[in-house]
Amino acid sequence: MTYRETSLEASLNFSRPGFRLRLDLRVPPTGVTALIGPSGCGKSTLLRLLAGLEAPAAGHIRHGDRVLFDRARRIDLAPRHRRVGLLFQEYALFPHLSVAGNIAYGLPRGSGRADAVARWLARLQLDGLAERRPDTLSGGQRQRVALARALASEPGVLLLDEPFSAVDFSLRQALRLLFQEVVADRQVPTILVTHDLEDVRQVADRVGVLIDGELRQLGPTTEVFARPADAEVARVLGWHNLLPVASWDGRTARGDWGTLRLGPGEPAAPADFIAIQPDGPRLDSEHGLPVEIQRVIDMGGYHALSCRLSDHSPLRIHLPKSAPCPAPGTRTRLDVQADTVIPLPARSTVPPFALPIDTVTLARMYP
Amino acid sequence: MNLLDCAPSALLLSLQVAGVVLVLFLVAGIALGYALSQPIPLRGLLDALVSLPLVFPPIAIGFFLLMLFGRQGALGGPLHARLGWDLVFSFPALVLAAFIAGLPLVVKPIQSAIEGQARALIEVSYTLGKGRWETLFLVVIPVIRRHIAAGLTLGVGRSFGEVGITLMLGGNILGSTETLSLAIYNRVLDGDFDCAARLSVLLGALSLGLFMLLRRLGRL
Repeated sequence: MTYRETSLEASLNFSRPGFRLRLDLRVPPTGVTALIGPSGCGKSTLLRLLAGLEAPAAGHIRHGDRVLFDRARRIDLAPRHRRVGLLFQEYALFPHLSVAGNIAYGLPRGSGRADAVARWLARLQLDGLAERRPDTLSGGQRQRVALARALASEPGVLLLDEPFSAVDFSLRQALRLLFQEVVADRQVPTILVTHDLEDVRQVADRVGVLIDGELRQLGPTTEVFARPADAEVARVLGWHNLLPVASWDGRTARGDWGTLRLGPGEPAAPADFIAIQPDGPRLDSEHGLPVEIQRVIDMGGYHALSCRLSDHSPLRIHLPKSAPCPAPGTRTRLDVQADTVIPLPARSTVPPFALPIDTVTLARMYP
Repeated sequence: MNLLDCAPSALLLSLQVAGVVLVLFLVAGIALGYALSQPIPLRGLLDALVSLPLVFPPIAIGFFLLMLFGRQGALGGPLHARLGWDLVFSFPALVLAAFIAGLPLVVKPIQSAIEGQARALIEVSYTLGKGRWETLFLVVIPVIRRHIAAGLTLGVGRSFGEVGITLMLGGNILGSTETLSLAIYNRVLDGDFDCAARLSVLLGALSLGLFMLLRRLGRL
């Protein structure tokens, strides 16, 4: 199979009162593509559209050469014919069936059924729980049963809606590792919807940022986190230090908070905001932006300092434990290195469709 | 003194009606509850029709049905002319009356359960390759069995107490279409308060028994 033959491609236009979703998406069959965005941005709706549980007003969905939906050609495969596995947020295990019954539900009847169930029980570390009912399982066990059930039916596309949100924090790391092991060797397009940045960082090879029903950015995880497309995307990705820019000449950004010079390598794109990496600024009593230290938190490996700039804008910086740490109330200056500052537009345009996702990312980074 | 010697056939008739409508409720209640929880065409109209007996006066419903199924009615006329069959003042009329009166009490709990706890399970079943019928029997019915039992109990209980539609459609014919509820009404009109009291106790005991059954089923 080639990349193109098994990738998932969708162009969707869907609306309901108070909400509209318009996006173009291509998901390759290798690795995990995460979708992240604020509540109500359309993440779960997108999964429901792909699974056939809701119908878009226009557009198409293709998996390789199979057309799952095409409004223009009046093709709308029923969910049962799409071979799209969906893991629901609350797992939705069948309460009247045992663990084995749940896993076997989507399997064809026959002699291989019991073997397949046994294989998945072992694979998801569920040995000894085959006859238990879902209401007797822990959150982590339920999550693994739901994943086994979704994978056992050999779906051509795998969709996961907040799979780790209903388990304790202490279990999440172990589940993420198990999830990676199980999903990594499956050559199917996999979309993971989450609101947890740690899920994205640890599990996803690519990430898409969905805001107000639009896919604002899609690309390799490390690159998207390092180079958000706009200020709204940056906020979703956990960038705390966003300062509004009043004037911008391509090299220098000014605002009520002060003036920052950017490095010679920065593109001269319009900037409505600048984003400052928390690890970048260093304390300096003579140069840089004047700040007042508000709060100091010992984070174990570093100190997190909450500061206020001269216009009272909040700023969060991280100082290594080896550096001297000022007390709350101290007035000092921050020397912000040019290579830790990113100029950002308030809002970017939506990526063009029909380009492979990595090309989309490259086009955004090097216009 | 026998509890039923003043209306010997009324209890049996009521039980027969209840037995038949129980089967009808089981089939139609689940089918309609499932259908009304899906995005089907004319769902609003169907929902309104099923719910109508909850708000519309039973005696008026009975009158309209009498006009519809009477020998001069839009349906009753052809039935009589072509098949020689009269629905009104017959046992099927009693069943129809009890069915219409109790149907919303059966459908609504089932519909509500499907739209609530069963919705996500139905969707999971679809994504795992099952169709609507397989999903109905493999998931919906087992998961909402308590709601089905509760709906059936409420519907049958309503059929025991049904008077308005039964009076109009069944005709209240002594020994033929006189149900337990109508027998109480008739004995009061005749001034036989002793018999009316005994029948009322019996009817009350039946209703109380159904209520206890409902509570028990709720704990299943």
